Amino acid sequence: MEKIGLKVRARAKEALENREVDEVMGWKKGEFWYDVYPVFITEANEADDLIWDAFCVNNLSKYLIQKQKENKKVGVFLKGCDSLGFNQLLKDNRIDRDQVVIYGLPCVGMVDPEKVKKEGLNKGLLEIKRSKDEITFVTKEGEKKILGRQFDYDKCLACRYPNPVVYDELLDTEIAREVSEMDRFKDVEAIEKMSITERFEYWSNQFSKCIRCNACRNICPACSCEKCVFDNVNAGVSSKASVDSEEQFFHITRAYHVAGRCVDCGECTRVCPAGIPLDQLNHKIMKDINELYGKYDAGVDVSQDAPLVTYKLDDADSFTEHGKGGK
Amino acid sequence: MQRIGVFVCWCGTNIAGTVNIEKVIAAAGEMPGVVYAKDYQYMCSAVGQNLVKNTIKEQKLDRVVIASCSPRMHEATFRKTAKVAGLNPYLVEVANIREHCSWIHKNKEEATKKAIALTRAAVAKVALNTALIAGEIGVESRALVIGGGIAGIQTALDIAEAGYEVDIIEKSPSIGGKMAQIDKTFPTLDCSACILTPKMVDVSTHPNINIYTYSELENVKGYVGNFEVTMNQRARSVNMEKCIGCGICTDKCPSKKAKSEFEEGLRNRSAIYTPFPQAIPNVPVIDREACIKFKTGKCGLCETVCPAGAIEFSQEDTKITKKYGAIVVAIGYDIIALDKFGEYAYTNHQDVITSLEFERLTNAAGPTGGKLVRPSDHKKPKKVVFVQCVGSRDKTERGKTYCSKICCMYTAKHAMLIRDKYPDIETYVFYIDVRTPGKNFDEFHRRAVEEYGVNYIKGMVGKIFPDGEKLQVHGVDALTGDTIKIDADMVVLAAATKAKEDAEDLGRKLSISTDTNNFFTEAHPKLKPVETHCAGIYLAGACQGPKDIPETVAQASGAAAKAIGLLSKDKLVNNPCISEVDEKICSGCLACTKICPYDAITSKVITFNDHGKITKRVVAQVNKALCQGCGGCTVACRPGAIDIKGFTNKQILAEVDALCR
Repeated sequence: MEKIGLKVRARAKEALENREVDEVMGWKKGEFWYDVYPVFITEANEADDLIWDAFCVNNLSKYLIQKQKENKKVGVFLKGCDSLGFNQLLKDNRIDRDQVVIYGLPCVGMVDPEKVKKEGLNKGLLEIKRSKDEITFVTKEGEKKILGRQFDYDKCLACRYPNPVVYDELLDTEIAREVSEMDRFKDVEAIEKMSITERFEYWSNQFSKCIRCNACRNICPACSCEKCVFDNVNAGVSSKASVDSEEQFFHITRAYHVAGRCVDCGECTRVCPAGIPLDQLNHKIMKDINELYGKYDAGVDVSQDAPLVTYKLDDADSFTEHGKGGK
Repeated sequence: MQRIGVFVCWCGTNIAGTVNIEKVIAAAGEMPGVVYAKDYQYMCSAVGQNLVKNTIKEQKLDRVVIASCSPRMHEATFRKTAKVAGLNPYLVEVANIREHCSWIHKNKEEATKKAIALTRAAVAKVALNTALIAGEIGVESRALVIGGGIAGIQTALDIAEAGYEVDIIEKSPSIGGKMAQIDKTFPTLDCSACILTPKMVDVSTHPNINIYTYSELENVKGYVGNFEVTMNQRARSVNMEKCIGCGICTDKCPSKKAKSEFEEGLRNRSAIYTPFPQAIPNVPVIDREACIKFKTGKCGLCETVCPAGAIEFSQEDTKITKKYGAIVVAIGYDIIALDKFGEYAYTNHQDVITSLEFERLTNAAGPTGGKLVRPSDHKKPKKVVFVQCVGSRDKTERGKTYCSKICCMYTAKHAMLIRDKYPDIETYVFYIDVRTPGKNFDEFHRRAVEEYGVNYIKGMVGKIFPDGEKLQVHGVDALTGDTIKIDADMVVLAAATKAKEDAEDLGRKLSISTDTNNFFTEAHPKLKPVETHCAGIYLAGACQGPKDIPETVAQASGAAAKAIGLLSKDKLVNNPCISEVDEKICSGCLACTKICPYDAITSKVITFNDHGKITKRVVAQVNKALCQGCGGCTVACRPGAIDIKGFTNKQILAEVDALCR
């Protein structure tokens, strides 16, 4: 990753020097070993701040909405999962493809700090370096190498698109990785097996943890509305009372709002400070869409019709079938 | 503070019988914004309307709630009343305390509570109503008739005679429909062809009528007064302009093994064929599945013999798009398949036939030249048994629950025709009930029994099976309880009628609904029998439910009258309850454009000043003339940027809140 980090800096510098773009979006190292945050740079000399390491998990594509309103041409670094989000934003007309230069970054997976902490490896930790699946823990005492993906985010372990699906330049060689579709909906199947009462209890418990911080919404590349319905006073649903029904209403509505548009990047679950497994809701809807309307993967192909806003005569139509005495 | 008036209607005892009106009035008086509440026996009467009018003026009401029947019934009435009194008609709300309350409840106390809740919801909504102004739209003064049977023909002729252009679209190669197949018609026994073919000629020569045969409706866009219809005219493989209808091609065609649809499969036809000699247009069509040229590339004999050079193997389907002000659906009916009625041996014995096959067998232009013979051995039958209600009034999966309505009469006709031509043939009719209401209908049936000696047996047939040359028919006489055994030579089954297979599909394309049996649903079973719930689309004939010819023709003229009424208008008043985009909130995802069934939403780029920064983005844009106010977009809009005027999210939630209070 370090070598590619050099490329990231060089490319950003070049692009800004030549005025290929007005601004570059990338990641910058923060104070702690796990700390990385998004930056926007407009000057070539700022390019030295950019990094590419095992914690560049933030999806930068959503920031493009604001930048583009300002009529700026922006260069942006996108991983595989980020590129799906980018495509969905494109499909929702939130960004203009011509105003973006995408530097694609194939990604082997990002490290989950929580997993590192759980193993107690965070004591005296200064830095984590990654080369493919080899993780190097740098401490004052020295370096320790561990091979394997046990520190990867769960969502990275289930990653189906390690390479960007859309880019202008690819900064690394593509990753060939066998990705299994099999386990994708395992979480849903477990919930589907519960009785209705069990299921209600499960979700009631989960949602009751919600503190309405809106992190899930703000990180989501499908939640890109100019003004969220939950912020729209005229919509009549903007109340944020801390009661179970409000929280349930928020999460169910949010799941339906991203239905058929969720790219399964798993960011909602990652950022939730309360640990609500929000991706399970999204997975359920994806599974249903696939079963009812055929396989659809939001964000993969911009030209593909989204099943929930496309009507075909042979669409599954269980309501009318029931109405006509069908089974 | 608003000044809302609430008017509660008794509807005679319809509402007052189940709802305590006094309590509703008392409760309404307490509702926020209500300054006046009054009841009357018939609010829709002139006296009732005057009460509303005068009160609006006297009490200076700025909003009105009428608690009465369904808004489908009298919303328009009370909007007009308000308008006369100088109030914007869209400041009136109707609380449906009849259909939604008094008619469906028995407990007066509970029903009264519900009536109060419904009134409270309407009051909460009307408080948020705003004055709306209706616009106007033009009308394309041309009608489309779907289906070229007697229903379509009559409709087209009536509309054309009124001076409007009409197009008929017919799926098969010729107009005429089922009536063209029929021999004689009840109750007068005049020949079907003699009364139908002149009408077919009238249609084909009328300067206002265009016929598209061998064509199917593909897609319908638009709305009342302005439908845009795309049809697919299938390749006929014969040039309609050049063909002189000489028929040499059909004679010479070497492929003669296709079953004739017109003859109900009782005769074969050539691959290039005209369905029947009086077909309109009298231009043959090549059945590409049967044609040797299309199957193997060799042959082309028709092309060689055609004196007009009209054969065009290379013809392709053509798409035609036209605009229409009104559409009349007249696609007719079919009869059910009898493969599930094993006891009647229809599928395995040639001499068990359907009534429609019988029509061809007894028709002078039919496969036997009108001579009644058994299809199996061409011998004259001695005993013919008719079985009625085959699949009609049948609650099992294989049949239809309804009465097919026409079978009693045509069976009497068939038996009578046999006895008239061949007094030596015995005829038996098995029936559940004989249903012959209609002008001169019962007299007709009595004649069959009394004058022609047709033997009517009340009871059903249990089993039919071949026995040598004969067909054993075993049934029960329900009146005596005796088992009846008849050694028949021929059996005629009155198979149930059914809606066309593609009725539901067509219904979807037109946005009109079908019932559980796939017959199209009329807007009101009594008062709007030819209208559908989609303005500008009307129904004629058996596609709406089983019908005989007199009824079909009457309904066709009814549908034509409705269409003419619409086409005669220069302008239609638009519904102002259409959707509106809040550009500040719209994110430009354009899910609404994809959901909109009327293609009424497009997009545009707007620039605006965002705290001093000039920014631009895509937003949705509603075409006011195209939007029909269906509300689909408001549901698809995540941020709630699109709303239906008169039915805003806020209004609906206010209603729900009021109901929950």
